[in-house]
Amino acid sequence: MSPARKSYLDLCKRCVDQAVRLGAEWCDVSAGSGRDISVSIEKTGIKTADAGQGEDVGIRVYVRGGMGYASVSGRDRRDIDEAVRRAVALAKEATPDPDFKRLPAPQPQTEVEGLFDDRVAGLGVDQVVRIAVANIEAAKAMEPGVNLSGHVGLSVGSGALASSTGVALESEDTEIGADIEALIKRGSDTGYFYEFDFGRHLADCRLEDVAAGAVAGARRFLGARRIGSGRMTLVLGPLASYGFLAGIVSAANAESIQRGRSYLCGKLGSRIASPHLTIVDDGLVPRGIHSGAHDGEGTRRRPLTVIEKGTLANLLHNSYTAGKASTESTGHGSHGGGIGPTNLRPVLGDRPAAELLRDVKEGIFLESGEIRADPASGDISASIDFGFLVRGGEIVHPVESAMLGGNIFDLLERLDAVSSDAREEPGVLMPTLRIQDVQIAGSE
Amino acid sequence: METLAKHLCDLATRRGADFADVRVLHRSGESVLVQDGRADKLAASTDRGIGVRVLVGRCWGFASADSLTRRRGERCLGDALELARASEAFVSDPAAIADVAPVVAEERREPEVAAAAMPVKDRIARLLDYERLGRQAGGSAIVNALVSYSEASSEGVLANSRGAFIRTTNRRAVMTCLMVASDGKILQRGTEHRGIVGGAELLRQTEPETFSVRAARKATALLKAGPAPAGRFTVIFHPSITGLLVHEALGHNAEADAVWAGQSILEGRLGDDLAAPAVSIYDDSTVPGDFGSFAYDSEGTPGRRRTIIEGGRLVGFLHSLETAAKFKTEPTGSARAQSYDCRPIVRMSNTYMGRGTVPLAEMLRGVERGIYLEDGHWGYVFVQKGQFICHAGQAHRIEKGAIGEPLRDVSISSMTLDTLRNIDAVGDDFEMKMPGMCGKHGQSAPTNCGGPHVRVADVVVGGQHTA
Repeated sequence: MSPARKSYLDLCKRCVDQAVRLGAEWCDVSAGSGRDISVSIEKTGIKTADAGQGEDVGIRVYVRGGMGYASVSGRDRRDIDEAVRRAVALAKEATPDPDFKRLPAPQPQTEVEGLFDDRVAGLGVDQVVRIAVANIEAAKAMEPGVNLSGHVGLSVGSGALASSTGVALESEDTEIGADIEALIKRGSDTGYFYEFDFGRHLADCRLEDVAAGAVAGARRFLGARRIGSGRMTLVLGPLASYGFLAGIVSAANAESIQRGRSYLCGKLGSRIASPHLTIVDDGLVPRGIHSGAHDGEGTRRRPLTVIEKGTLANLLHNSYTAGKASTESTGHGSHGGGIGPTNLRPVLGDRPAAELLRDVKEGIFLESGEIRADPASGDISASIDFGFLVRGGEIVHPVESAMLGGNIFDLLERLDAVSSDAREEPGVLMPTLRIQDVQIAGSE
Repeated sequence: METLAKHLCDLATRRGADFADVRVLHRSGESVLVQDGRADKLAASTDRGIGVRVLVGRCWGFASADSLTRRRGERCLGDALELARASEAFVSDPAAIADVAPVVAEERREPEVAAAAMPVKDRIARLLDYERLGRQAGGSAIVNALVSYSEASSEGVLANSRGAFIRTTNRRAVMTCLMVASDGKILQRGTEHRGIVGGAELLRQTEPETFSVRAARKATALLKAGPAPAGRFTVIFHPSITGLLVHEALGHNAEADAVWAGQSILEGRLGDDLAAPAVSIYDDSTVPGDFGSFAYDSEGTPGRRRTIIEGGRLVGFLHSLETAAKFKTEPTGSARAQSYDCRPIVRMSNTYMGRGTVPLAEMLRGVERGIYLEDGHWGYVFVQKGQFICHAGQAHRIEKGAIGEPLRDVSISSMTLDTLRNIDAVGDDFEMKMPGMCGKHGQSAPTNCGGPHVRVADVVVGGQHTA
């Protein structure tokens, strides 16, 4: 154990003991530090270089089920002691909650390989600047007039979690990534797109190549045209499908369902999508960007099939919702009390994306864009931000000022294919999805 | 705070910085969440730190730390200088800073109701009242109710190497309500948001009828509404949607950092007629108590009312010290940083369209078949291509000049310049009640937006069926 991690664990344990002495019935404390470097690109040059470092402590206390939470930045002992007192006082003021049962007990943990990379931790600003400059040079070589913007950055974190049930865990992680936007103007025509790459290890990324992808994308979006309205096939490329599926898995949050505010209320065990769709949430993928041995409450993570052949098979639980439902936490809790997915790995189909597109008579290929369902009704009304018109299996041109609408269940039922190939980022799989008979609103 | 900030500015100059500014901040916050009859989550936070920005030659460097000691401050300064020097050789657009007279001032905004004057138990009681009365208004259809209140105070100083020194003390309070209704088949939700520069007076000022009761009525009304149609329509925007339009579609494009970077569709358009003469659009950080208001921005420039469009003509952008230097104009007090650990960037404050002359009834009379959009929720924009989207929580059909069938929540999308050109009526009313947190470059800033009713031709409505 590194001295820094041990120091955080000792700090957490001390805060837990103090909270219990002050009247906490249950308590857990997280503490950690992070540092980051970020280099900004603007107008196809370096704009600024930023660095930050900080430490924080979060104290969660339950008294008769009521929760008090206090957070504090820095390592000032008086500030931290005051935060512990505040968390206990707030928990005593909160309304007693009989649905709260317990915080997680210590559990054997599965070690997840590859969350920390010494090479990333050892990079200085010079190396980050060099990555940014490599992107600028590559973009200029491809498209001399390109307007490039974006960031290259890294973060290094270390922390610990301890609880009144005996949980005592430490973790450390690294992340490095680049996100680059390219803008190309030809007369009054504009092509704009972005690309990114990230990972926990330097070896998992091709950070110098990100701008080339953005420039290629921006060229594809030159010549956008308006289209008419109608019902047609919608093909979601990897970037669009990931957000779409992440929204559905997020809606399988047990708290929203227990509270009665999710469109997935009453759907557990029911079919909600076509049998083509199976989604596994797996927080244990080695080197995964959302991976970790445990969640924010200390519950060990495990792979969870959320949707199995179209059926809502499992909900995401934290310790509170699991206690309320008399089940086990699935390891999706955050320290503040929230619930969220980890790495999503949809089960792939049997035909490549190119073939799925080839069968489309008339439709939209959405390369990227947010398709957000209303969390209660499931209604969707979304802009086609980065889409193309498809006719006879061929991409015809990018579209401008078009939208799509429907209800999440209609779209999921009409999902008729998941591609056999997928974009893979550390931990996550992003396939292409095809959905039939979707209402498109055009401006022609 | 003051000694440390001034010391670091002096030291930065001695170490070769052409310009430096230092922001030291101490923030604390509290929040209460009431849900289904219980105050089941109470939280507090404390956060303090320092941010040092330096301009060395052609490049910026910025470093922050969550400590106010002299040693950490000097290390921050050293990091910022190193960061700038490491990057300087690769700058294509040299950094600049406007040559303005330094301001020495204090902004002190105390809440009418101090935190201690309304203890946690009283706040909980008020939120439980909101929740109970909302549930009563919605009846048995209400299946989930959530009311939250939070307030945050900040004390800070800003100093720069040219002698500016600003001390600020302020507090902001926000409150949200969510009511979810069910008819046994579908769920619908109604939301309300409030936000002020101030404290717990927000709880005293806000009547349940205009907050939780209204949210509950929205949710239950939506159960009876049908899906919106899809296609191109003439639409009338409620002031909340007008607010989203001016903030998303125009305001972000008028932020001079985007314009200078060649990322805005307004690049090279200053002086052009972009909209009908009835359209004037402003950004004003001096509206008393409004959520987006402030006396001095994060660079120490006094806030002001900024005119973006006057009589349909694009007349100005929002500027920081840097963009003002590059455009050879005055800074407008529009540089805002989320906290000590963020660089100031160009942001909006309270953005609105000025009142026109057309009564809503007259506006409606001109529409044979259209959509009335209300209850603005959210929006976003791609400034690079001038495309925006706004989401309305409720809508109605307009048929033969009258508001008709209620419709569910729906989004609209269009191109900014087309939409400005297609505004053909500006209402004689005005409302600015859209407090929210605006996101840009990973930072969020408190803003507000609004305006009158407006009528716009040829807007794409993302409905579920062709009409």
